[in-house]
Amino acid sequence: MDKRLRKALKGLLDSELEHRQRAMESFVRLTFENFMRCLYRHLGNEVECEDVLENVYADIWEKSEYLAHIGDERELLRTVYMYYMRKRLRQVYRRLNRNLHLSQESLSMLVAPQISVLEMLSDEERGETVRRMLGKLKARERRAMELWMEGMSIRAIADELKTTVGAVKMLKYRTILKLKEQVKAMNIKVE
Amino acid sequence: MVEINRTIEELLVDYADALRDGSIPTFLKSLSREEGNSIACSDEFWEGTDIVRVLNGVGFADKAVLPNVSLFTSRVNAEIASRLKKSRGPLRRGGATRTKPVKETEETERAI
Repeated sequence: MDKRLRKALKGLLDSELEHRQRAMESFVRLTFENFMRCLYRHLGNEVECEDVLENVYADIWEKSEYLAHIGDERELLRTVYMYYMRKRLRQVYRRLNRNLHLSQESLSMLVAPQISVLEMLSDEERGETVRRMLGKLKARERRAMELWMEGMSIRAIADELKTTVGAVKMLKYRTILKLKEQVKAMNIKVE
Repeated sequence: MVEINRTIEELLVDYADALRDGSIPTFLKSLSREEGNSIACSDEFWEGTDIVRVLNGVGFADKAVLPNVSLFTSRVNAEIASRLKKSRGPLRRGGATRTKPVKETEETERAI
């Protein structure tokens, strides 16, 4: 783990207020980008990510003891997600739930699920794994996913592949499930 | 996203688009009761959401516009200061707003 991050984590548990404040500033600077990207995967919206992250850091300030025995940056992200981010992610949509036709459990699973094996990887490792997984797909499936990941709408993808919107939706759904099967196979290997 | 009773395939695809476009609240609001129920019962939907999140992260997290970290740090500091203030609680002046017990009031009235 980065030396400065280790020092900041230690400082967060200091009994002196001034030391803690300095450590907190340093902690925010060192982790901000990583935490933002993690939240972005769940919210897909920068403004919402900032609001949630602000509260996450304040929660860490109030209750830092979960970060007492962190060994590396991967463990730090997992711990922050499990103990601080999930609670805040749930709150984002709780107020909406009065008007929704979803159970509280479904909503929680949708906005603050358990962290998956792929999400535990670093950005580079995850990117590499996804590229490898896409490489195993049929050409048409891979093309549809690549176009989607470039930001194209379903209709635009349908035009590009010279097919219908319904066919693209079905293709995308089947491809997502295929990718999931690949991840499951990876999970077995990890275990 | 205004169609009624989409199939689970369509729901997963719409969820993926909503996550990519940052419009999850719109997706959640668009769900009908039947769609909500079918989501709750569908293992395939939940398995798919994992992958969708990862694809979203790989494809778009790098394109997210990160705010200035110094400005953000001052927001965090302000939030922490506000919580510290709240945790200390409001200062109370001794009994200025305290209501007198009924017995005490009655005794005073009797004396008058």
